[in-house]
Order: sequence, then C-alpha cells, then structure tokens
Amino acid sequence: MVNSNKKALGLIFPNSYDNWVPELVNVRLMASIPFASRYRMVDFVLSSMANSGIDNISVIVKNNYHSLMDHLGSGREWDLVRKHGGLNIFPPFMESDSRAYVGRAGALANTLDFLRSQKEKYVVMSDSNIAVNFDFNKMIDAHIASGADITVAYNEQELPANFLYHEANDRDYYYTLAINNGRVEKIFINAKDKGVQNFSMNMYVIDRELLIKLINEASLRGNEYFERDVLIPQLNKLNVQAYKYEGYLTRITGMKSYFDENMKLLDDYNVDALFEGAPIYTKIRDDNPTRYIDGAKVKNTMAADGCVIEGEVENCVLFRGVKIAKGAVVKNCILMQDTIVESGANVEYTITDKDVVITAGKELKGNDSFPVYIPKFHKV
Amino acid sequence: MAKEMIAMLLAGGQGSRLYALTEKLAKPAVPFGGKYRIIDFPISNCVNSGIDTVGVLTQYQPLVLNEYIGNGQPWDLDRLYGGIHVLPPYQKASGSDWYKGTANAIYQNISFIERYDPEYVIILSGDQICKQDYNEFLEFHKAKGAEFSVAVMEVPWDEAGRFGLMVTDENDRITEFQEKPKNPKSNLASMGIYIFNWDILKKYLEEDEADPNSENDFGNNIIPNLLRDNRKMYAHRFSGYWKDVGTISSLWEANMEVLDPENSGIDLFDDEWKVYSRNSGMNGHKIGENAVVENSMITDGCRINGSVKHSVLFAGVKVEEGAIVEDAVIMGGTTIKAGAVVKHCIIAENVIVGENAVVGAMPTEDEKGVATIGANVNVGAGAKIGPNAMVRNDVKDGEEQW
Repeated sequence: MVNSNKKALGLIFPNSYDNWVPELVNVRLMASIPFASRYRMVDFVLSSMANSGIDNISVIVKNNYHSLMDHLGSGREWDLVRKHGGLNIFPPFMESDSRAYVGRAGALANTLDFLRSQKEKYVVMSDSNIAVNFDFNKMIDAHIASGADITVAYNEQELPANFLYHEANDRDYYYTLAINNGRVEKIFINAKDKGVQNFSMNMYVIDRELLIKLINEASLRGNEYFERDVLIPQLNKLNVQAYKYEGYLTRITGMKSYFDENMKLLDDYNVDALFEGAPIYTKIRDDNPTRYIDGAKVKNTMAADGCVIEGEVENCVLFRGVKIAKGAVVKNCILMQDTIVESGANVEYTITDKDVVITAGKELKGNDSFPVYIPKFHKV
Repeated sequence: MAKEMIAMLLAGGQGSRLYALTEKLAKPAVPFGGKYRIIDFPISNCVNSGIDTVGVLTQYQPLVLNEYIGNGQPWDLDRLYGGIHVLPPYQKASGSDWYKGTANAIYQNISFIERYDPEYVIILSGDQICKQDYNEFLEFHKAKGAEFSVAVMEVPWDEAGRFGLMVTDENDRITEFQEKPKNPKSNLASMGIYIFNWDILKKYLEEDEADPNSENDFGNNIIPNLLRDNRKMYAHRFSGYWKDVGTISSLWEANMEVLDPENSGIDLFDDEWKVYSRNSGMNGHKIGENAVVENSMITDGCRINGSVKHSVLFAGVKVEEGAIVEDAVIMGGTTIKAGAVVKHCIIAENVIVGENAVVGAMPTEDEKGVATIGANVNVGAGAKIGPNAMVRNDVKDGEEQW
C-alpha cells in the first residue's frame, strides 16, 4: 500500500458545465475540450487522481462522449489499465420509461450497484472544467483528520464577470460557500456577489457508504442535484468541511475565460505553477517535433509537437499539428489540432477548432473581449 | 500459429566511435532527431511493415535500452503472441557466453526464433537511420526465390571502397562479396539488413558455431559461406534515405538533415510511415518574447528565450535569454544558460552549459570538428570548449578544453 491508494475510488463528471461553452461542446463535452496546447480538460483531474495513487476511476458520461472515449481509450496513458479498477466509463443507463438524468445525484443513482460492489472506503468526485495539478491524498488526509462526513474543495476568487451581469450561466448551477471554522454552513447557488468568494471546485471526498445512503434517498425522492437537493437541505445534519486549495487553477466558465486561461499560460510563471509537481498525461499522437522553417518569426507562443511554422506568430497557443504557411500572420490566437493557416492569411483574436483551414490571403479578426470562433472542419 | 517473418535486431554495438555519447548508453539508444532514439527507426519500420515479432539483441550497457523498450507499447508491440523481446546473453546449464559476434548472437537465440516457427527471418541493425519497407523487401526475396537477400544502396564509385560490396549479375544475383576492397567491382553497398529463409540461416549458424576459427560474424563468415555453397543470394536495391550514424560527424550531419527534409529525404512528417518513440510527457514548448527561432526543430517541454538557428532541440531543453545556439544538436533536459554560445556541436542529455560559456565553433577551412559533451556534464560559467573537444567530465568555471 505504499504507492497505490486503496482507500479511495474516483468519479469524474465530464459533462458538467457543458452549457457554459456551447460552441466548444457542439461536437464534444467539457472534459474533451482541448487546453494548453496538447491536453484535454479531463487530463488534469484524471492525471491528478492517478498521481495520487487512485487507480479505480469511473467517468460518468451523459452525452456527446465519443470524443472523450476516443481520447481515453483503455486508459493506458494514465496508467489505468488494471485488473482491479482501472478506468471505467459509465454511459447513461436508460430504461424504456426513464429520461436521462440532469444532475450529479441523478448520475450517481445510475452507479449505485457499482458503488455498492466496490471496496474502497472513500469516494473522490470531480468535474472536469477545472485544470489543476491536485493532490487528492492531501485532501483525503484532511477529510480523515477533520472527521467530516463530506469534504469539499474550494478556492478564493472573484466570480467571473459574466456570472454577475447576466443570467446565461444560470442553466448550470455553481456554488459558493459560507464557511465557519472549516465547516460549510451555507451553500449558495448562482450567487451574484462581488468580491472574493469561497468558490466551490465541486471536488468532494465522501465516505462511500454515506454516498450510497444519500444517493439512495435522493433517488427515491426523485432528486437530481447533489448540492441543491442533498447537501443544502442537510447541512445542519451532515458535517461538511471545506478544503481550501491555494495552488494554480484554471476554471473554464465561458468562451472568454477559455481564451484567457489559455493565454495565461504564455507566462512561464503560470505554466510552472500548473505543470510542476506531478506530470499531466494525455493521449499520445506520435507527432514529430515542431519545425520552424526559415522565415518563421515567433514570439511569446506555446506550441505542441507536430507543428510546421513558416509564418509570423505572436501571443498564440498552438495545438498539435498546426501548420502556418509563409507570409501568414497569426496573433493572439488559439489554434486547435491540425489547423492550417495558408499563406498571406492574417488572423487575430481567433479560436479555431480542430481541422480548420484559413485559406490564403483571408483576414479574420476578433477582439480581445470577444474572440472569433471557427467550428471544427470549417474552411474560411 | 507460425509467423511468416520475424525480425532480429542487433543492438549490442558499443558505438565506440561516438565516444562520450555512448559511455553509459548502447549506440541504438542514442537520441536522434528531437524525440527519437536510433532504435526507433528499425522498430517503427517493423511495425509499419507488419512485422509484430522483434527480438532485440543487447549486450553493451543495456540499462537505458531495456527501460526504453519496456513492454513495447509505444510501437504497438505489446502483443499476446509475438511482440518485442529484449534478448541479452544468458547463462545456460553448461556455461555461459557473451555474444561473440553478430552471427553468434542469433545462434544463441535459435530457441527464441523457433517458438514462432517463421519461414523468414530479417536481421536488422540498430545503428542506422532509415525508413524502409521490409515487406517490400520480403516480396522481392520471394519473387526471386532467394534463400538470402541483402538490402543494398548504390554509393558513389569513389567511396565504394569504404563499404562491404555486393557484386551482382544482371538479375541482381550476388556473385561475389567484397569487404572494403581497394578495387571495387561494384558500387552496391550492403546495408547490413538481411532476409534469410530460416532453415538456411539455422543451418549456416550451426555450421559457423562448429567452426572454432570463425569470428561468428555475418559479413565475414556467414555470407562468404553462403557464397561458397552457391546459395540463391540476391541484392535488393534501396534508394531512400539511409545513414549509418556511427560517428560524431555522421550523427551530427544526420540530425542536420532532419532540418532539411525536402533535400535530404529524411521526412519525419510522413503520416504514412510514422516513426514511433516513447513520449516525454512534457507540456508544449514555449518561445519567449525576445527569442529568435529559425530553421529548427523544437520538442515538447523546451523553453526558448535566446536565439536558436538551424538546430535540433530535444524535449525539455532550456535556452536562456541572450544565449546563442547554432548548428547544434541539444539532447533532452539540457540547459544553455544566459549568454552562452553553442555552435556546431552535439550536447548530450541533462547538461548544463554555464553563463557565457562557449561550446564549439562554426567550421572553417581547416577546422571542421563537432564539439561533443557527454550526458550530465556541468560546463562552468565562462568555460571554453573547442571544436574538437570531447568532454566527459565537469568543466570548471573559465576552464578551456580543446
């Protein structure tokens, strides 16, 4: 029991907050959104769990999950091909008279038989809209030390601006916490408060038996939401402890935040904060190194392997296999896998999805506060 | 179930002419082309040619190589039946032997080969950079009704004397073998890649083993014996990129050729013939605000804040502000500190080149040396390493080595 964590199993909810980035999840889900030049969002929480020795991990998918299944494969890249546990994908189990679940409690109700048959004492749960190099062991230790029924991780930050001034994000719930002496006293849904908040990361440690009991009750009552229907009504009964995370964290809360969070990684300080510590694993593509051909002019850019750069690039995040032809100028852009920018094109403040082609000589300019988005496979 | 053809990859070579680079490393494990090791090329060729069983014969400094190959997963060679197997010399009930020669290495593994009951065995060399379709080679072997075939390259006549040459008739049948002759009768150089019918190979290996005077070498013993017996031997012409990277200068040159795929013919960007390798797992590389990067290959994990021209940088190389890197091969994890000047050289893994140090120099009329620094060496601040230097140990601040 030195290297592996037999105490806890992991549950990941890859569809959480899909509604926040509707463009990006048109052909995928939150977990498989490309991030930081060679990763998908899920890589961070999955690697963090694997690095914490958790080797029984289930991904509870709901819809648009083909890209995620392709990405995860057998789980080998995360060292999760195991006889016991390993990586396990739970598609929705639909009965003829049922509809798909909407919330975390509904999703968990689908896995009750699985949870009952497992041996681990604890369950750790996480969404995948947060990229973080997280030590789950520390959180589990804190959970045990505090004697909590449930421990929830949070960080201190202001709510994203777009949460405050309109209602668009209300299609999905987010939670802020009132904490007294470590204990969560109140959980607020979709608060609009200004200033630094205790922003829940929706990462939980909970005793497996307790989770089964809570979800079983919720399921009998037809409750869907874990926080709204299970935690909030029982906060006085359950000892819910808050676990403050103070390290670097990326939280995708909208298109603008997706753009900004990628751009933040052009600062070495942030890259080190996110990647130093345990390694983050991802699917291997076997690309060759990136080639800079004569005439390339590159500044302040992060690029994955497999790119061919002949043009001018500044303040960009380039994913694997991007090609930028001679005479093309690309500034302040995020170009996802295998984007091609042909010669003479001029592109600024643009997010191109996978396999986009910007043909020769085209001009495409978004704005700092509103980047242009080109969907997968489109040719401009 | 029998395998039609399995591969035996000779990876025991010490690579003594790579000096500092192979002190703790077998030659096939030497890094190449930004994210590969030399052995990735023959292994990837096998997989791309549909060969799923590969025996890797190791002997010299096998630790890195063994770990690198592991279970073969990066090459898709983790198979239930077949796959890749590292075959070091082993102890038998009646004594044990190191591999005495290339032929003896195969001889000692006859039982490994027989487990797969192959019709053909291809013998590969672990020290060449080459993308070759072995399946096409096998088709040639079958079409000729050959018992033995060797892959050959046409070389310029004036260089032919440096190679082992196959003299052939108009049907490509081999009539004579010349090892580095003064008067070449052919310009078809052996690439050291052979296909044998297994029954023939086994017979000649056993015969060779019984001969106490034999060097147990394919080139010096097995091939001459086949010729003596007038076996059906053919030469298969290969015209793609091929390079024996056995010397510092040829290794440096081959890396530089990777930067010029249009002219050199070594295209690593070929989706139809990928070269697989074990991944570094590092995040994307970063080009800084004041960096200059021209005509170079940069790999995951690099941080470039200085000037990099016409160079190959492996995973995790750091080039600090004000440093100048030109015509250089810099292997994984190495740091070039601020103000250092690094030119026309090979720097191995995890080296630190101190501030304002100078390594190598651009070639001149009478000075074309490739400065070489071995793995884990610390080159002190302000140190000077001349173009012919071969650095194995730490260099103190300000010290000069030529």
